[in-house]
Amino acid sequence: MENMTMEESFQEMEHILGQLESKEVTLEESFQLYKQGMEYLKHCNDLIDQVEKQVKMLSDNGELEEFEEV
Amino acid sequence: MNKNVYSVGQLNTYIKRMFEEDFLLSNISVQGEVSNYKCHSSGHIYFTIKDGQGAMSAIMFKGNRPRGLQFPMKDGDQVVVTGSVSVYERGGTYQIYAREITLAGAGDLYLRFEQLKKELEEMGMFAPEYKKTIPKFATRVGIVTAPTGAAVRDIIQISKRRNPFVELILCPALVQGAGAVESIVSGIQRLDAMDLDVLIVGRGGGSIEDLWAFNEEEVARTIFSCNTPVISAVGHQTDTTISDYVADLRAPTPSAAAELAVFSFQEWQQTTNQFASLLYRGLEEKIEDCQNRILAFEKQFRYLSPANRLDEKRQYCLMLEQRLERGMENLIKDKRQCLSLLAGKLDGVSPAKKLAQGYSYTADTSGKAITSVSQVKSGDALTVYVSDGRIQAKVMEMNEDVKWKI
Repeated sequence: MENMTMEESFQEMEHILGQLESKEVTLEESFQLYKQGMEYLKHCNDLIDQVEKQVKMLSDNGELEEFEEV
Repeated sequence: MNKNVYSVGQLNTYIKRMFEEDFLLSNISVQGEVSNYKCHSSGHIYFTIKDGQGAMSAIMFKGNRPRGLQFPMKDGDQVVVTGSVSVYERGGTYQIYAREITLAGAGDLYLRFEQLKKELEEMGMFAPEYKKTIPKFATRVGIVTAPTGAAVRDIIQISKRRNPFVELILCPALVQGAGAVESIVSGIQRLDAMDLDVLIVGRGGGSIEDLWAFNEEEVARTIFSCNTPVISAVGHQTDTTISDYVADLRAPTPSAAAELAVFSFQEWQQTTNQFASLLYRGLEEKIEDCQNRILAFEKQFRYLSPANRLDEKRQYCLMLEQRLERGMENLIKDKRQCLSLLAGKLDGVSPAKKLAQGYSYTADTSGKAITSVSQVKSGDALTVYVSDGRIQAKVMEMNEDVKWKI
């Protein structure tokens, strides 16, 4: 899961929901699926580092500086 | 000495009139290179227009500039000057009074554009199979554009509004004039090396000359070979450049590019929340389903339990008992009825009744019934039974007689 993109995770979650809704899944399996789904959700959340980002500007010497609009 | 002598002023006025009466000179276009370009503090523009064969002074008055000159003119520019040629009497010089100055070959730009477009298209550089997918959830976005102006401001504003958690890295670039092509190319290459999710390359609106850098082959090739997906955003909706064709996605404006590159955090949150609740509901439904099945089983088990069975048997026994009792009662009742019927019949044939009708029953001393004369002899004691008692009698005489017919 570590290397999964957000889109792949979303697809995986759709798949899990589909399984969870089917009648064949056992209760034990459904708990497992739920756990997995929650892990994917967490992974998606982790992918988005929810810290507000500053706009950076690439300077001539290749360093990133804070960009301030003139 | 009969020749007329004129003043210098008179002669210049005469020459000036000649110029002004000339139809061609009053509205003429001339092409050449700009030199000695000077913008006077009065707002008038002075320059010399020249080519291999000659040179001529040119002037554009301040009043003609807003309409007549729409690019930043400088020495060396090839231009077409349209105006009238007239004489400046004070200097005795003639010059062209420009009403309009355009870059020479501006009309050719369209041809160059079409030619390059055709060329690159034939090479397959616009082919859809080379278009990289713009990631739906980019978290690091590179921008190649001018660090000032509306374009960068719009991109930053819209990106921040959609998702403040996305990292924006701006590589400032010259987007028009000399050095613009090199600046854009190096900007794209530098950001490409940073392994970002997507690049926005573009600028705000302007004239076809202003946007020209985005029609240059070098820029197009750089965009084509860029490993990071590129969204081009040059000018307005109506401006289409070679960069737009070669980029992985064309945005009509820089603002639109930001919308396309940066996903909405709010929408993302809604989607994940929805997943969470669907997941939870899915599990809940499963549990509920299991509970219902357990309840159903419980009911079935209870129904089939030994206790329940015992009860059932008990009930069955009770029922049997009741049936037995009722059967017995009926039987007794029947028998009783039968008996009374028989008793009635018996009563009908009772000897006591016969005695009452005058018949009697005769027995000897031993109690044996006397039915024949042969059973007695004279003098035997007899007992005669009648309805209300016994008579002791003695045989006096026996007469055999005809048998009684009963």
